[in-house]
Amino acid sequence: MSEKINYKSLGLKCGLEIHQQLNTQNKLFCNCSTEMKEKIPVLIIKRKQHPVASELGEIDVTAQFEYLRDRTFHYQVFPNETCLVELDDEPPHNLNPEALHIALQIALLFNCQVPEEIHVMRKTVIDGSNTGGFQRTAIVGLNGYLKYKSKRIEITQISLEEDAAAIVEEKNGNVTYRLSRLGVPLVEIDTGLLIDYTPEEIQEIAYTIGIMCRSTSKTKSGIGSIRQDINVSIRKGARVEVKGVQELGLISKIIENEVKRQMSLKKVEEETRIVKLDGTTEFARPLPGANRMYPETDLEPIAIIKEYFESIEKSLPESWINKLERFKTILKLSDQLAREILESEYLNLFETIIKTKKVEASIVASTFTSIIKDLERREKVEISRIPEKMYSEIFEYIENKRIVKESISEIIKYLAAYPQNAVGDAVKELDLKPLSVNELKEIVNEVVSQPNMNFDKAVGIVMSKVRGKIDAQTVMNVVKSLMK
Amino acid sequence: MYSQDIELLLKSKKIKIGDRVSVIKDKLIYEGILMPRIELGDPSSLVVKLPNGYNIGIKYEKNTKIRLSERGRPIRFKPANVAIKKDPTKPTISILGCGGTIASRIEYTTGAVFPAFSPADLLLSFPELKDIANIKGKKLFDLLSEDMTPIHWQTIAEEVEKEIKSRADGIVLMHGTDTMHYTSAALSFMLQNLPVPVVLVGAQRSSDRGSSDNLVNLVSAVVAAKSDIAEVAVCMHGSMSDDFCYLHQGTKVRKLHSSRRDAFQSVNVLPFAKILYPEKRIEYLRTDYNKREKKTVKVDDRLNQNTGLVHIYPGIKPEFIDSLSKFYEGIVIAGTGLGHVPSNPFNDRFTKSLIPSLKNLIDSGIAVVIAPQTIFGRIDMNVYTAGRMLNEIGIIGNYCDWTPETALVKLMFVLGHTKDMKKIREMMLTNVAGEIGKRTVA
Repeated sequence: MSEKINYKSLGLKCGLEIHQQLNTQNKLFCNCSTEMKEKIPVLIIKRKQHPVASELGEIDVTAQFEYLRDRTFHYQVFPNETCLVELDDEPPHNLNPEALHIALQIALLFNCQVPEEIHVMRKTVIDGSNTGGFQRTAIVGLNGYLKYKSKRIEITQISLEEDAAAIVEEKNGNVTYRLSRLGVPLVEIDTGLLIDYTPEEIQEIAYTIGIMCRSTSKTKSGIGSIRQDINVSIRKGARVEVKGVQELGLISKIIENEVKRQMSLKKVEEETRIVKLDGTTEFARPLPGANRMYPETDLEPIAIIKEYFESIEKSLPESWINKLERFKTILKLSDQLAREILESEYLNLFETIIKTKKVEASIVASTFTSIIKDLERREKVEISRIPEKMYSEIFEYIENKRIVKESISEIIKYLAAYPQNAVGDAVKELDLKPLSVNELKEIVNEVVSQPNMNFDKAVGIVMSKVRGKIDAQTVMNVVKSLMK
Repeated sequence: MYSQDIELLLKSKKIKIGDRVSVIKDKLIYEGILMPRIELGDPSSLVVKLPNGYNIGIKYEKNTKIRLSERGRPIRFKPANVAIKKDPTKPTISILGCGGTIASRIEYTTGAVFPAFSPADLLLSFPELKDIANIKGKKLFDLLSEDMTPIHWQTIAEEVEKEIKSRADGIVLMHGTDTMHYTSAALSFMLQNLPVPVVLVGAQRSSDRGSSDNLVNLVSAVVAAKSDIAEVAVCMHGSMSDDFCYLHQGTKVRKLHSSRRDAFQSVNVLPFAKILYPEKRIEYLRTDYNKREKKTVKVDDRLNQNTGLVHIYPGIKPEFIDSLSKFYEGIVIAGTGLGHVPSNPFNDRFTKSLIPSLKNLIDSGIAVVIAPQTIFGRIDMNVYTAGRMLNEIGIIGNYCDWTPETALVKLMFVLGHTKDMKKIREMMLTNVAGEIGKRTVA
């Protein structure tokens, strides 16, 4: 489909706003937990919001008034994850230093300038997703860039802000929100205009930005932890913002659909659209103006002093883009495997093992990705029962040729069942001592001498006897050579 | 205010707050509007509002240059332009502003918050009001409530009298919340023979935000001001939700939380009424109030400001109590529990009794009154030794269920009328504005 559209001649321009939640212990402006795991609300607070008279004048206020009059917001309160700050019944506490640290790391990874003094702002929001009627946000980086395919992608701004409450449902003007997400720190990364890129490339750029954030290993993962807003315009259209794209794989499709939508219209309004499950969009509200910001007067501006800034610069983690490249070129991992291990929760363990044991990186990587996933999914093995140090032991056995890589799956299964035991116990009890080629030959000779034998059948029988003790390729070679 | 260096630089370049400027530093150019420096943060950092509305601070150093790009427009508000028609079928409510920015407008260029007080401003901010009443508005003064003094209470009382005499059907006083319960107690004593309701109202969340409790509180206060409860009362949120307000008796209310919307609670009594916000309806909870009727309000604003309030705590020094005679003609003791102070009947070697010091104060003609620091509950000086000793030396307040704040205000009022100790005691112990309840509600 997309090859039919010539995006260049249509003058496709896109802009990305990537929102990534940070995995801090506490929220941005209070000491509530950011875990968002509580299920049952202990309290529901009912609130109204009303327009705030601004210099924008009466019409604006009237429109807001009409909208808000018909809405009642119901806020769900959860233990440990909600306090009076989320309820807009206590002023914000100081900005969480852990979140600031991570946000500044991200700003530096994108080569941004960091302001010498950070000012928290209030951005007016009237959909009730912020109990206060505004979202708190602050610039932590300006004028950065990202390298993509040897081109320079402008990162115009990075801000640190509080996440909004998550909507539960909207029924007849009653809107219910969960307050557990309100106040979770997130960084917003804004790109400059992306011109002359295909929708697929823009999707790849969004992926790259996400990967960069995760270099800090302090980002949240899972559904909703990263959300993209995409501005799309073609020469004959208008700037339309598609909000809240949670699935990366949808980006190219959304852009494609929006281009088609704009091509089909005579006149395109500037507006915000919400993405639906199938990647099409629906109208949400007119684009908000830039003049909805004013200072958060309950918080002191934060001076970024030189010593603090330098300490962040010095301890900057390796960017995942570099890591990905290193995994592919030096560790010789395939692109897919490199990405999988990068996204895996075992990344740190993988790197430690690669550094300390002489084992093929692809074996270690596939153990932590496909092998573990298969065991969990297909055989319901409780992987989490296995202590981390057991993995180092497994690869030490492989390094010393005391087991073959084909035995890894069996050993992991055993260790999940007996977490107190060691790798040696598994080898002994499962009889996984590697076979020598001579020992193999004896078994093969016995099998091929049976009547009505063919190659495939012989390999099958031999494998069932030697699985986990010697690799399949050797088995096939030996069967082939002994079957005349 | 910026540092002196910056102020001089801006003056020499003729740059004013609100102008569009470029700040150049380390090869970078920041374009935006020069913002005023609020009192927080580093005065040697320039604050610039970028075109997308964000502020950042740029430290002013030797290599920092600033250029004027465009003269800014002067920052001020056009007054709101709302046509106001008087509806003869609706009552007229006078809204008087005593400070606190319950109504205000934001100027988004600088983020400055302007108090808004004309009736037009009020109706722009609170359009619902025009469906309830004809609104008159007047600003008395702009004060943080912690800066309020008894002199201000006197001004308020006079202004309320004027409004009532110019035929207002009810009065609403917008007031900062911190000391609102002192003012409500004072007005309860000073405004006598009230023909209409006088309702104090405030907001716990600033009015610049869409979630401010100002709307629910103010609308409910206007509903209360239309009712037939011709009393001084406080109208504030009844819960953390925006569902109803309570109308509290002016002498029996106290701020009991530093930030929650429902910070105000009635103490030892039920509130007069509940105002259901969505329905704009009043639900009466009591019948023992003065009803609205045609009569002439009388202001008695004689107060004696040489009156103090002392909180009792473990280890309090008798010398501190002795020193009070230098400043005060009357003192309220916020006693522990049922009304106690350290009295040391068992002659513990560390404890210092306050009884001799208090006795000296009383003997020298200073009125000493007691109220419970527990806030809730009633004084009873007959139960424990300390209480009996206090009672014996002539402390005033046995069986009173007043809050320390109300007792203080009443003592100011009483001392404004007499210096005779017998008369003081008699006036203090006679209920005049519901400050002493006969029954403590369960």
